Amino acid sequence: MSDIEIAVGTRPIREVNQEILAAAEAGHKVIVTDTRSRHNLGIGLPAGARISFDGSVGYYCGGLNNGAEIEISRNAGWSVGEAMAAGWITVGGYSGMAVGASMRGGLIHVKGDAGPRCGVAMKGGDIVVEGRIGYLSGFMAHAGRIIALGGAEGACADSLWGGEVWVAGPIASLGVDSKVVEPKPEEIADIEALLARIGINETFPNWRKIVSAQQLWHFESRDAGAWLMI
Amino acid sequence: MCGIAGRFLNSTGPIGRDLVDLMEAQRHRGADSTGFAIYGPPVATGFIVRAMGFDRDRLGADLEDFLAVLRDHGSDFLADPVTDDAGTAHVSIRMVIGEPRSLADWSRQADGLCDRIEIQSVGKSLEIIKDLGGAAEVADKHGLRDLVGTHGLGHARLATESEISPTASHPFWARPFPDVAIVHNGQITDYYTWRDRLTRQGYRFMTYNDSELIAVWISDRMSQGMTQGEALKRSIREIDGVFTYLIANRVSMGFAKDRFAIKPLVAAEIDGEMAVATEEQAVRTLYANEIDVINYDGPSLSRTWDIAPGRIAA
Repeated sequence: MSDIEIAVGTRPIREVNQEILAAAEAGHKVIVTDTRSRHNLGIGLPAGARISFDGSVGYYCGGLNNGAEIEISRNAGWSVGEAMAAGWITVGGYSGMAVGASMRGGLIHVKGDAGPRCGVAMKGGDIVVEGRIGYLSGFMAHAGRIIALGGAEGACADSLWGGEVWVAGPIASLGVDSKVVEPKPEEIADIEALLARIGINETFPNWRKIVSAQQLWHFESRDAGAWLMI
Repeated sequence: MCGIAGRFLNSTGPIGRDLVDLMEAQRHRGADSTGFAIYGPPVATGFIVRAMGFDRDRLGADLEDFLAVLRDHGSDFLADPVTDDAGTAHVSIRMVIGEPRSLADWSRQADGLCDRIEIQSVGKSLEIIKDLGGAAEVADKHGLRDLVGTHGLGHARLATESEISPTASHPFWARPFPDVAIVHNGQITDYYTWRDRLTRQGYRFMTYNDSELIAVWISDRMSQGMTQGEALKRSIREIDGVFTYLIANRVSMGFAKDRFAIKPLVAAEIDGEMAVATEEQAVRTLYANEIDVINYDGPSLSRTWDIAPGRIAA
């Protein structure tokens, strides 16, 4: 089936999104051009949809994804893939703050760096960042995995409730109530299998797996000092 | 939530039009009021004063009182003041004044009339224009798109902590320093602590907008001899809250961002010109083609851009 090209320009986003959805439901691969970093592109797309954004997108691209395969050739703004349930989003460049905020499933693959609060409050799924993850990444995540190949900025995995943050590069500092644990060989194999699935066949000798220290699970006021990170 | 923007050009050009475009693209971030700081062709002698009168019907009498204070300080109007003709109770006034003996002493005394005429900016080049409504509305009313200059700031306000009024909107002038203006996106959580402290030192606050604190705080630091760049860095440690603010003077523009890193800022530097805004899509209204941008997403950041003297209009 032929590809369909849709230009964004200065058109109303609702109109663009309705065209994207209609073309995807008819089985076409959709190429979105002239994106101009506009917000809210490609929201709530269904499984089977294949969308390629040719350029940079603004906030919330691919949010509420239900299984679509979405590719962004350059940068993404805030919260790419916010609250997505399933699917696969690839960002070719830098991805702004709160990548995959509150996501429940699926995979987000960022080829550049990611901004602060990557994976904030995520409840499932995987985020792979080939560069560095920003300040406070993994903040209050409940489940899922964040995998950062290039390292992590300060306060990594701060207030992590559950889930895992895997870092192969340097970590500027750990956030409160998180701890580094020794990963098991089969866990590393599992991570590397996920990386191989998205075309990253390198092996990384220095994995750190960060999990919740669980001190804040049952908060008492006398523990207030544990919260003071700044 | 608010939206901010800054822009500088290589030479005197359509700075008003560019800033209106940057702000209209961020209208959804707040359209209670919109304001601009325009650095236009400078006056050779004296200062340009932008002010707001609160009672159009008695503006003549109020301006006479304002002029009397000015004359007490060895200055005068160098031309007849110009006002907007919108018909609203509040009225924007543009004056060109001779140099007072002391700008600080004059502005302090003139601020005594601030319930009738409030000074919004004083500078060789700076003009602060702000009003109720979105960017297009304010631009139409005040002819913003026709203003030329080298650089400027813009602000779209969503009032969260204080009243909506033409004077409580941004930018704020860092009185009494000529040509220094700020715009701010965020909330200052230790506002009253700082306000009380600075009021005891003798500073006067015109509004209850927490962002005004940044302008007054910067004034205080600059009075102590701190450079703008040093003040930007120091503010990150000393002011509490979530903020990203822009500051400009005649020769530079800068920003500071707090340690929590919530409020975004994106900059594009293209061929020696620069556009900075809360949202990248606003910058893209000036650069429709794909461009490389810098995302200032991290915590505790500050930066100053020099606006080379060659760029400043003679």
